[in-house]
Amino acid sequence: MTLSPPALEIRALSKTFGRKAVDGLDLTIRAGEFYALLGPNGAGKTTTLRMVAGLLPADSGEIRVFGIDARRKPVDAKRIVAWLPDEPMLYDKLDPLEYLEFVAGLWGVDPGLAESRAEKLLTLLGLWPHRRERCEGFSRGMKQKVALAGALIHDPRLLMLDEPLTGLDAASARQVKDILAERVAEGATVILTTHILEVAERIADRIGILSHGRLIAQGTLDELRAQSGRAGATLEDLFLGYTSLAEQAA
Amino acid sequence: MRARIGVVGLAANDAKLAARALSGLLGPRSPRLKALIFFAVFALLHAVAYLAATRFAPAEDTAAGLRQMDMAARSATILLLPWTIAATMTAVTRMLFQRGDLDLLLTSPLSPRRIVAARLLGQAFESVAGLGLILLPFAHVNAALGRPHWLAIYPALAAAGLIGAGLGFLIALHLFFLVGARRARLVSQIVATLVGASAVVVAQILALLPDAWRVTVFAAFSARAGEGDVLGRLFEIPERAALGEFGPLVAWLGIATALFAFAVFVRGPAFVAAAMASAGAPSSAGRANARPRFLAGLGGALRVKEHRLLMRDPWLISQMMMQAIYTVPVGIVMWRHGGVTGAPAVAFGPMLVIIAGQFAGALAWLALSAEDAPDFLMTAPATRGQIERAKLAAILQPVAMTMAIPMLILVAIAPFGGLVAVVCAGGASASGALLMLWRQAPARRGMVLRRHSQSKALALGEHWLSMLWAATDAVAAFGSWTFLVPLALVAVTLWFIRPARVKPVPPLVAATALPTPAA
Repeated sequence: MTLSPPALEIRALSKTFGRKAVDGLDLTIRAGEFYALLGPNGAGKTTTLRMVAGLLPADSGEIRVFGIDARRKPVDAKRIVAWLPDEPMLYDKLDPLEYLEFVAGLWGVDPGLAESRAEKLLTLLGLWPHRRERCEGFSRGMKQKVALAGALIHDPRLLMLDEPLTGLDAASARQVKDILAERVAEGATVILTTHILEVAERIADRIGILSHGRLIAQGTLDELRAQSGRAGATLEDLFLGYTSLAEQAA
Repeated sequence: MRARIGVVGLAANDAKLAARALSGLLGPRSPRLKALIFFAVFALLHAVAYLAATRFAPAEDTAAGLRQMDMAARSATILLLPWTIAATMTAVTRMLFQRGDLDLLLTSPLSPRRIVAARLLGQAFESVAGLGLILLPFAHVNAALGRPHWLAIYPALAAAGLIGAGLGFLIALHLFFLVGARRARLVSQIVATLVGASAVVVAQILALLPDAWRVTVFAAFSARAGEGDVLGRLFEIPERAALGEFGPLVAWLGIATALFAFAVFVRGPAFVAAAMASAGAPSSAGRANARPRFLAGLGGALRVKEHRLLMRDPWLISQMMMQAIYTVPVGIVMWRHGGVTGAPAVAFGPMLVIIAGQFAGALAWLALSAEDAPDFLMTAPATRGQIERAKLAAILQPVAMTMAIPMLILVAIAPFGGLVAVVCAGGASASGALLMLWRQAPARRGMVLRRHSQSKALALGEHWLSMLWAATDAVAAFGSWTFLVPLALVAVTLWFIRPARVKPVPPLVAATALPTPAA
């Protein structure tokens, strides 16, 4: 039996913007896992994911996506990765269907398959009636959903989402969480950053906490409780405990 | 903190922002140095005005001199008024659709009339400031030399600004309600372009008329003016006001005040209605049943996307119209009046070459520097080079399609000169696109009309390369081997701006998405 490589393997990753944003980070995320990456503002979460997505060059370290060296073969890695930032990256003058046509073309998705996926995704996200309206008139939540549809249309094996629930109403947030859980059930890997700890507590298989560019804790909720010796503690208690310790140590 | 802000306070805030933008043009220098530079420029303009005044102004005392003054004032009026109207139309449309701080102002307890008044005052000032900078030193110098009536330029110019702002506002609003929020952006931009260039258009129409017709038109106007016709006298008001005649000056100020007051007090509330209608209104909606165009492949996807965005860009369309309006008629006049040789290829070829170069430059700038989602493209499974090549291929298609018809006509009329123009237009387009590729400067798409203020070097390079290709075309069309000289200069210019000599730029990064050390 051959072991499948981890969905994401990061070794000694560093990035400096005047100060160390990511500081020798080691992180392994297994294939088919729903992973929540938490941390206070400025902890290095977005910087890390942007380096994985190929948006920022790392100063040093290794990034492997399903065994592919993302620093040496970025195009190969990008084929199986999708990145959804907190600010939707859309073209205001395109409508959702045109946007999905564009994204599917970039990733070389078969036109017939892309068309059926686009219809399914837009319907699932409640955007089908708006498929021919330009995005410039959309609310932030609608734009976020269009961007999510774009991230999913090429069926990525690794999906990275930065604060994906920002700006969504309760029903839309539930829709998005269900879609992500469904993707994980189908074998995809999802990494999500969020400041809404209840979301991480409820849907993540494992949770990682970053502070000052380093991973200071990682595991399931029960494992985090056990590591900290606080049985029954909420994720919020654990998060505040870990990050305040890291602050004191820094 | 100060008490509630009023019209003056709002206008002062706008003026402060405009002054900072102006100051920003001088780069990161100290405020004292910037003030010194502005003072030096102002002093230099006064020195030039002094030289001109001492040399030419005494002619004002003669009948011929007075006629010349009349002509100068009339020309300035004919050019300035359409310009201020068009500038205001563009500003009002931008305000309605790009919003800026409009939402903040509309949610404040300020009355709509105050908001409109402040914005129009700022617009009036802005649209005459450029001409004022040139004219006012002449007024100061002549007043100091004993001709105080020159100071009438101040109120005359202010009135022209108010009239232009008022009329531009009224036309823009009327168009908005006439064609609806969805089409207003495009229609208003096109109408503004035509209004702004109306003086040039009318002049060219007159130039194109048969001689006998033209003489008849001029004779009719002269006769009406000479007979003291009411309409003729009305048209003379602005020039007489600018020349310092008391009655016309009072009338000119009266017209300006009445028009501005009408725009603010009567139509001001309609602006708020337009702002509400435009909020979130898409410029147009696609057909619900239109067939999707899913294409596999980077090139096809980027081509379709770029073409869609270009077709939906009213500012770009208006810029191209403006370029055609200002450039093509020059060729017509050159041909009509014999030009250098009267040959159509020599008259039109260089014009078409310039248009092709500038058009390609503008499109390449839009595709490369003003990419809306650069981060997203960077996550696509393609290298930066592949993306840029696909984008350039996408933008050169509309350039070729736009230039095809005039080029074919030129080739049919003058085969050799036409073919030379085709080659040079291709070269100019490629040069313009290469310049934008090598000198990417992240910006927003809406900046296309002001992209030259973003980088003077870029603007200079773009014009310089277009001119060199035009010169190459003109000389080659004559059959002279000296066309190699401007061609060599093109090569030298491209050599100097090639990537090896410029600082590396962040790849496909937009103004909105510059790297930040985010968490």
